[in-house]
Amino acid sequence: MSGGIARGRLAEERKAWRKNHPHGFVAKPETLPDGSVNLMIWHCTIPGKAGTDWEGGYYPLTIHFSEDYPSKPPKCKFPPGFFHPNVYPSGTVCLSILNEDSGWRPAITVKQILVGIQDLLDQPNPADPAQTEGYHMFIQDSLEYRKRVRLQSKQYPPLV
Amino acid sequence: MDESGEELEPLFDYRRVQPFNTPFNLVCLDDDTPDSSPVISKKRKMIVSAVEKKQDKKEAVQIIDCEEKEEDWLPPSPKISAHTSNLGEDSTIKEIRLKKKELASFAQSAKDELRDVEESVKRDLSASLHSLQDSVAELPSKSSTERAKIVISIQDKDGAKQFRVYADDKFERLFKLYADKVKLELQSLVFCFDGDKIYPNATPSSLGMEDDDIIEVHVKPSG
Repeated sequence: MSGGIARGRLAEERKAWRKNHPHGFVAKPETLPDGSVNLMIWHCTIPGKAGTDWEGGYYPLTIHFSEDYPSKPPKCKFPPGFFHPNVYPSGTVCLSILNEDSGWRPAITVKQILVGIQDLLDQPNPADPAQTEGYHMFIQDSLEYRKRVRLQSKQYPPLV
Repeated sequence: MDESGEELEPLFDYRRVQPFNTPFNLVCLDDDTPDSSPVISKKRKMIVSAVEKKQDKKEAVQIIDCEEKEEDWLPPSPKISAHTSNLGEDSTIKEIRLKKKELASFAQSAKDELRDVEESVKRDLSASLHSLQDSVAELPSKSSTERAKIVISIQDKDGAKQFRVYADDKFERLFKLYADKVKLELQSLVFCFDGDKIYPNATPSSLGMEDDDIIEVHVKPSG
């Protein structure tokens, strides 16, 4: 079925990533206990952009690809409870380019997804809230919001 | 002195007489010219000819010496023998000289051969060295040598630098090289591959790295 297409594309994505990716980012397919690789789930890291309140944090993100990829976008998830106006309580990222009905195009690469989410971190979209706490604080108390973001960055120190 | 000058003639004979002993004892010749041993080694070609000249000189010297020392070490026998077998002596000397020439030419040819061999070896060596250099130069494009090489990028915030290393070489060396290049303390650098820290005793092949894979370097915050 189309699963062949998804895996083929993901193998290409991975190959391209190995040769070229932005500094501080990690993106690798899941390795199962038996040593085999599951191309449908990728474990990634997005570094907080320098010069922002997110700097210093290395945020873990899991990308779930479906058999319909790249016709349909993958689902991107931070850990549950991640603090950000556009992240659902489940951790799922709400972003236009990840929405099948709005910005997604099959040509969008894993790299573009990750860089897009990095941009989103410091530039929340108040028009499309996904969680109450983050959204309200962002709208009502900017100082408290920034404090909370800086606190969270410390919860995700570099893994090495 | 005139008389001694006249006596030179017999003394010349004496030279011819000397080899006369050789049929009985070949070692005599060797004693006289210690360098020209029957087995002439390759390197002695020059010595042989030099000895031949020396012989002449020696004899010239001996001419004077002989007057005084004749009694000491030349028993009357020479004169007797000189008269008895002059032709025999000549033929023996000729034989010996021929033999000498033969040996000398043999030595010469051996020497030439050695030189040929040396030259051909040198040629081969330089050729093989050349080809070795060529193959080294070709390595960037082909990694089909015995010890596989791999191209790795080390990427920091500002960009990537490429390094060509042995796939089975510990990262230790590459890391030191990199630290020297960017003029930073090795201790302040953290190297990662796919988000995992690389330990200095790992190798590109132990991490399953491929050509153009990226190692990320992070600078630890000072303090």
